[in-house]
Amino acid sequence: MHIQELILRLQRFWADRGCLIGQPYDLEKGAGTMNPLTFFGALGSKPWNVAYVEPSRRPADGRYGENPFRVYKHLQFQVILKPSPAKVQDLYIESLEALGIDLSKHDLRFEEDNWESPTLGAWGVGWQVVLDGMEISQFTYFQQVGGLDCRPVSAELTYGIERICMFLGGYDNIFDLVHGEVKTDDGVFPVTYGQMRQREEFELSAYSFEHADIDLHRTLFDAFEKEGWRLLKDHGHFLSAYEQALKMSHTFNVLDARGAVSTTERPGIIKRVRDLSCACARAYLEHQEGAAVPVEAAGKGGAK
Amino acid sequence: MSGTKTFLLELHCEEIPARFLTPLIEEFSAAFTAWASDQGLASAGLEAFYSPRKLAWRGASLPASQPDQTDTQVGPPQRMCVGEDGKPTLQGLKFAEKWGVDFSAVRFEQPAGRKEPCAVVTITKQGRPTVDLLAEALPGLIAGLHVPKAMRWGTSEFEFVRPIRNILCLFGDQVVPITVDGVTATNTTWGHRLYHREHPEAVKIATTEAYESALEAAGIVVSMEARRTRIAQQLEVLAAEVKGHVVADAELLDTLAEIVEFPKIVRGEFPADFLELPKEVLVTSLREHQKSFCIEGLDGALLPCFLTAANRTDDPAGFVKAGNEWVLKARLYDARFFFAEDRKHPLADRLEKLQALTFQRDLGSYHAKTGRVVALTKNLATRLSDDMDHIDRALEAARMAKCDLRTLMVGEFPELQGIMGGEYLRYEGAHEEVWKAVKEHYRPVGADDAIPGTPTGCLLSLCDKLDTVAGCFAVGLIPSGSKDPLALRRAGQGIVRILWERGWAFTPADLIAAALRTVGAKATKPEAETTEALLAFFKDRVAYQLELVGYAGSVRRSALAAGWEDLVDLKARCEALSAFAEDPRFASLAQSAKRIGNILKDEALSTDFDGSLLAQPEEKVLATCLKELESAPDQASLLAALANLAEPLEAFFNAVMVKCEDPALRAARLSLLHRLRQAFLRVADFSLWQ
Repeated sequence: MHIQELILRLQRFWADRGCLIGQPYDLEKGAGTMNPLTFFGALGSKPWNVAYVEPSRRPADGRYGENPFRVYKHLQFQVILKPSPAKVQDLYIESLEALGIDLSKHDLRFEEDNWESPTLGAWGVGWQVVLDGMEISQFTYFQQVGGLDCRPVSAELTYGIERICMFLGGYDNIFDLVHGEVKTDDGVFPVTYGQMRQREEFELSAYSFEHADIDLHRTLFDAFEKEGWRLLKDHGHFLSAYEQALKMSHTFNVLDARGAVSTTERPGIIKRVRDLSCACARAYLEHQEGAAVPVEAAGKGGAK
Repeated sequence: MSGTKTFLLELHCEEIPARFLTPLIEEFSAAFTAWASDQGLASAGLEAFYSPRKLAWRGASLPASQPDQTDTQVGPPQRMCVGEDGKPTLQGLKFAEKWGVDFSAVRFEQPAGRKEPCAVVTITKQGRPTVDLLAEALPGLIAGLHVPKAMRWGTSEFEFVRPIRNILCLFGDQVVPITVDGVTATNTTWGHRLYHREHPEAVKIATTEAYESALEAAGIVVSMEARRTRIAQQLEVLAAEVKGHVVADAELLDTLAEIVEFPKIVRGEFPADFLELPKEVLVTSLREHQKSFCIEGLDGALLPCFLTAANRTDDPAGFVKAGNEWVLKARLYDARFFFAEDRKHPLADRLEKLQALTFQRDLGSYHAKTGRVVALTKNLATRLSDDMDHIDRALEAARMAKCDLRTLMVGEFPELQGIMGGEYLRYEGAHEEVWKAVKEHYRPVGADDAIPGTPTGCLLSLCDKLDTVAGCFAVGLIPSGSKDPLALRRAGQGIVRILWERGWAFTPADLIAAALRTVGAKATKPEAETTEALLAFFKDRVAYQLELVGYAGSVRRSALAAGWEDLVDLKARCEALSAFAEDPRFASLAQSAKRIGNILKDEALSTDFDGSLLAQPEEKVLATCLKELESAPDQASLLAALANLAEPLEAFFNAVMVKCEDPALRAARLSLLHRLRQAFLRVADFSLWQ
């Protein structure tokens, strides 16, 4: 199946089941969870169903476009269902069937895999969903986001788009995947993932591992942090402040891939991002719910 | 109401992590049994069932209702309850009212401990129907289960391991009316997801006895043991089909049985060129990444096949096989990448990089540890051998031992430590003695594992473990109770086993002194204190190891009490004692030894004895035996001499009065016995024999 067909089917499926179809957020980020549609959407008491594609950057996973399985940037399809429905597993299984996976012929398992995002002050419990031995999705019941208990609890479903396409098509190389077809007066031209992305993988890997200016990134990290706190403290602006936290997070990932972060330094840096994103979460909730956030809720549970 | 019924409870959840299944099953079983006994319900315990989505318990022969209970209450003295007119006083009426009876039901008796007759009532509390008790208690028992990583879901505040989606709860044929987090119990449950594609209705459990069969018909084998047995059988059959047998792994077998509801073993293949990877890498990668077993051929070499479990009855389109093969190939590419990358540089290049890897805060890096292990190896190797080449190779192995901690492969699979170092050295063309020693130096990794197969491997393992144990003790990291995070006891066990199985005559005191000398200034505790703690630790390890090997309690106690410092000698004595314990003469000898102990108690003893004073033939024979004992050149002849002593000793005690009037003769006899006891004590302290 073409990548775009898979995305379209997932969007149709979840739209038909009462989800808003959102859009990727136009800042670099490591996972779809960081999109404000999820980060803020999972907070507070109001019902919230949303689904969207999120390009996710992991600088340390870059392999110069040479590894058939690992890439700097991949696509996640993210679904948030708040509160988590009683039949959420069944819904997820139906979505796989909507992709043409005939589960009467496959082996589907939910294996324990708990999720944690130290930079977002978020954690949840759930599974990796394994189809015929292959991990195709992450399934999480959010327990905390931004250091705050989730009430009600959201279910987060994250589909690895390229992986599922590779698996369904039996591809041994991610770059051989077909994104879609371009039809012109002269004929039909399939466009591969490699044609669209391989050069990008090469350049971005080279940037993360070799060319990124370490001093600049250290400076940027400090500046984004300062900017974020200024926006939050002086203006009470949690959305623009949160963008600064996202930028800090990506800047940290680049520094990490460049090998510029020592193991002793790492927890401190992560905490600086978390402090800002958690403060944004509290400000959002105070604004949204018009009520003070209960103090005991902050930092409770297993968030790191 | 009378008779008994069977209780059945099933919590049907979303997939529960395998590691929580057994603890939850056991905790509820214990809590339920305790509750039943509190309620006066005699129960025979619970039978447990579980699968990824189910926790279930069945208890047969539970009484249909509680037995009636009578309770006697004692009140005020009779004189205060009944007036002089014979009528009840206010106090008397209040006592009756308190216990809900008419005053006519109050009797007057003198209970034990009271000086006068008192008001007494006997109240009969009627036993309640068990089903009512269950309905009241179960929600609390379920909610009270301890879940290490509990979660909430939806809008509820209820916490559990994973969402509960259905509750089946029966007592006999009656549904026990309970509700937990909005889920109300019924007599139905859910089968395998695949089954319900064709059968949308829930599965009715008609009788508690039909539980397993009804679920099996719906695609679930709910007994863990049954799943494990079926998996083991399929593994054997599928391995035999390719003329091989499964590389055994009991833990993996359990894991597979815990993650499927219906077990189907699938055999897949991987490209044969991956077989160039070391066997341990393949076995580990398959196990850790893909929960798969390897198959080995008749020659012990791996076949390019694997076996894994699917959660269904079949693989009709071959998708399960193809999918697992696809994923495994990607994983093996990774492993091969690590293997190739690691070999781009000689292993020795990592030695300096060990400086950045902390072994323990006070003891320093793995580089520092390597230095200590090398020094210790040198010390001990020169005492075991004077072959300089051999000693050099032992030192080379000690230097290389920890280098693989900086390889990609060990970073990915920590359990391959040692093994990879050895393999990489082998590829580099290192001497067999060196690479084998490095490869095996973590062994024995447990009580079931063997010690290293080569003397150099054993020496390296001994020195590495000794440094870990002595170093940790020297900085105050001493295991206590159930706390032994650094597995020092296991390391200690390894040391004792190596000494025994190799027959090396190092004493613990000697080893401790050598190890503490290399730890030197890093120690944070006084040396005398550390030495004492280490000696006690090793004595415990020795005693425990004797127990593990299977020596009887009497053998262990009496042999240990006669000295444990010479471990090789201790083991020989235990061996000899165990064999001798079967000898009919032994009981008599042990008895006599105890008798000697009693006689010598409170006596001033001298080892000088004048044989010429001895008069009776029985004691003269004994004096001859003593000479034989004391001149026994080795353990075996000493034991033989001891065995021959049984009869003369018995005769001696029958005929000779030790504590006679004549002080000189008496002293001579006491000295004779004293010397005999000392000879015994070279083997065992029989006073501890039971």
